[in-house]
Amino acid sequence: MTADATQKKYNCKDVEKKVQAFLDGRLAKEQVLHIEEHLDYCLPCDKKIEFEKKLRNLVKSKARENSHPSKLDLELKRIISAKKS
Amino acid sequence: MPTERQLEFESLVQPHLNSLYSTALRMTHNQNDAEDLVQDTLFKAFRAFDQYQKNTNFRAWAFRILVNTYITAYRKAIRQPQKVSYDDLEEFYLYKKLDETVALQETAKEDFLENFFEDDVKDALENLPYQFRLVVLLCDVEGFSYNEIANIIDAPLGTVMSRLYRGRKLLQRYLWNYAKEHGYVVNEQE
Repeated sequence: MTADATQKKYNCKDVEKKVQAFLDGRLAKEQVLHIEEHLDYCLPCDKKIEFEKKLRNLVKSKARENSHPSKLDLELKRIISAKKS
Repeated sequence: MPTERQLEFESLVQPHLNSLYSTALRMTHNQNDAEDLVQDTLFKAFRAFDQYQKNTNFRAWAFRILVNTYITAYRKAIRQPQKVSYDDLEEFYLYKKLDETVALQETAKEDFLENFFEDDVKDALENLPYQFRLVVLLCDVEGFSYNEIANIIDAPLGTVMSRLYRGRKLLQRYLWNYAKEHGYVVNEQE
């Protein structure tokens, strides 16, 4: 267990420092519990985290192409049927 | 008749064409170059298919080839690093800016994100320096894990994390600049 995980309570700065790893699911169980405990009583941090989640969803949904040019399907066919040189 | 090997390759790669093309498009900025990049990737992947170990992560394997192909093709452009200032770059950047600038209610802050059009988000992403853009795309758009990304871009985990964290903060700054330019925020103090 790291010193970090044994720490009793997280403050807003701790949450801020760990927000990305927290949202990525990269924190140890104890650290997650500390953050969740903080979010239970700290409305400003809770709001910020919710905003951050929404923002991530926005990026995920808007930055992705949901199709590809049909040319690529033809190229794929061509590539796999070409003789190995 | 296609051989078993050909069919196997096709069935493995087909489900990932959208993802490969999507990432290629964000990296190259235009459709023609993205098509060329994916085409080269498919060619190299098929040629190297013997080296792919069955039942391992094909998607990450294909993306690794995409990234290598991109870096080789754009070596020259990549070598000239963009000048980016990292001053004033902190967590919750966008939220804090909104907080400082406009006297918005919480609900309005959440609604604020609804303003962004697809092109705003794409442009903001495409403005990120390539090494940041790549990890943000791989993680936040394509959903790869840190370890998968480390393998795809051939970099240590620590590098992946620092680029990802920094890239996301930069992205928030760019989105904030967009919001100001496009009038999504009106500074009530002005």
